[in-house]
Amino acid sequence: MNLFQLALKNISGNTFRSFVVALCALLLAAFALFTTLLLRGAENSLRLAIDRLGADIVVVPEGTEAKVEGALLMGVPTKVWMPQDVVKKIATIPGVEVASPQLYLATLTGASCCSVSNMFMIAYDPQTDFTITPWLMQKMGKGLRLGEVVGGSYIFPSEGYQNIKVYGYLVTLKANLEPTGTGLDQTLFMTFSTAQDVSSKSTTQALAPLEIPSNSISSVMVKVLPGSDLHAVSAQIMQTVPGVTPIESANMFQSYRKQMTGLLKTILVVMGIAWGLSIVLIGLVFSMAANERRKELGVLRALGATRRFIFQSLLAEASLMAIIGAAAGIFIAGLAIFLFRNFIMVSLGIPFLLPSAGVFTLWVGAGLLLALFSVNLAALLPAIKISRQDPAVAMRE
Amino acid sequence: MITLDSITKTYQIAKGNSVPAVRGVDLEIDRGEFIIIVGRSGSGKTTLLNLAAGLTRPTSGKVMLEGTNLWDLSDQQQSFLRSQRIGFVFQFPSLLPTLTVYDNVILPTIFCGGTSNGAEHARAAELLDKVGLADKLQAYPRQLSAGQQQRVVIARALMNKPQVLLADEPTSNLDEQTELEIMELFRDLHTSLGITIVMVTHTRTLVSYGTRYIEMANGLVVNGKA
Repeated sequence: MNLFQLALKNISGNTFRSFVVALCALLLAAFALFTTLLLRGAENSLRLAIDRLGADIVVVPEGTEAKVEGALLMGVPTKVWMPQDVVKKIATIPGVEVASPQLYLATLTGASCCSVSNMFMIAYDPQTDFTITPWLMQKMGKGLRLGEVVGGSYIFPSEGYQNIKVYGYLVTLKANLEPTGTGLDQTLFMTFSTAQDVSSKSTTQALAPLEIPSNSISSVMVKVLPGSDLHAVSAQIMQTVPGVTPIESANMFQSYRKQMTGLLKTILVVMGIAWGLSIVLIGLVFSMAANERRKELGVLRALGATRRFIFQSLLAEASLMAIIGAAAGIFIAGLAIFLFRNFIMVSLGIPFLLPSAGVFTLWVGAGLLLALFSVNLAALLPAIKISRQDPAVAMRE
Repeated sequence: MITLDSITKTYQIAKGNSVPAVRGVDLEIDRGEFIIIVGRSGSGKTTLLNLAAGLTRPTSGKVMLEGTNLWDLSDQQQSFLRSQRIGFVFQFPSLLPTLTVYDNVILPTIFCGGTSNGAEHARAAELLDKVGLADKLQAYPRQLSAGQQQRVVIARALMNKPQVLLADEPTSNLDEQTELEIMELFRDLHTSLGITIVMVTHTRTLVSYGTRYIEMANGLVVNGKA
């Protein structure tokens, strides 16, 4: 038998104490991992969404920023319009390399095509597009033709079908983009000509027509020349083109970032309180247990255990309970995030993307370390106190 | 083997309020002796035993184990010495409730660098056989009677082949018959193994088991040869 085995036997023999300490470790690790996964997942999602949009500046009709961000981030379709001639105006502004228009459309509500009741659709101009086309060229070696679409990672045809029916028009899904955890994952991308074709045929083929106001666009994706000042270009757009709002990529999804910052602050406060309470509770449980086991520890000292052995043995018990509790907590938190991620996204109104296996492993390790550190910190004082006690006094009491 | 030189132990109860438990006692424990220390409750006999084992620091005086002052040693050296040279039998139930009888018996081997090997297993089995509990290896303390538990404690005390066995009122919680059995066991261990035994008791009739007795009162040796 060694110190580790002795600690293990003591843990299994003191079920209530072990349960309380392990439960605290479980809650700490689960809460820490859950919130980290959630916030990091949301942050990751935002970053990927900005990368996917690929624009330095997104120009939208004045006052529609929140709607557009909501559509791009949460997949809530929106219809916003501005005159098409803003593209030309923007393209001539010094510092602008490319200005490419997009149309924001939506499928019919409850359409049979889709996994969501109202699917977001983005139409782009293949002549100027620099967001979807480069990806298509890399992936398929060619752009989309009439009637062809690409979808977010959640877009797929119904089982047994090759095509997706949009307003009674059959489009062919050519590829799926990588997941971002945002509304872009449930968005259909098509060219202007396909959108116009769907719109014209929808008048006879669909329950309701897809209406695209003439000479109108929803947004302009702007790429600035390398070395140009993004703020200066944005300011210039504001001055030159009335009725639009330029959103710089760094400022995209500001309202969601604020929401997440608020959420993070709340979580940090709750976690701080939970952590403090856990430390106090574990410390109390250990103090009580050490007092209960005073005689037993005195006996060990009489049998030849050093102060260090007693100290290490108590901390070994604490560590084992922390690891057992934290492992259970991590499993529960991981499972909860995996199973309820969509529900969490909708409830909290934030995007979310599961991390890679490597990053997840790193966070699991961090969760375990947090639980280990916390439980050992709580057990430290009782362990020091009991290990320094005179064995004769300990056995007498 | 163990020498207590002008040993005094005073317990501080509250600020400025102290109780002298042992007052300037000299005691020489020689190899092979079976010393019985008798006295009423509070006479200082248990404190004297604890002082002899280095379990409590004397207020003044020296505790010498084979010429070495115990309190000149580090905690590690003192603990190692205790694990190798001294066996303990306590008045209260002192088996670890979470360990089996076997694990309790081999427990002292952890403290002198022992490993779980065949020799240890054989020694534990032999000792449990000697105390008549060979069939209780895998039992837990709660499954044993008070007398059986005390026998396991004796087996545990002998595990590291100590030179001296210190027993603090080992029969006070036992019925008369079990008390006699345990005392016979001590006598047998003393004669067959030649082990030095120092036993504290408040039962004067047990004095006859020893080779020498000491009587204590108010922290002083009042009778017998110290």
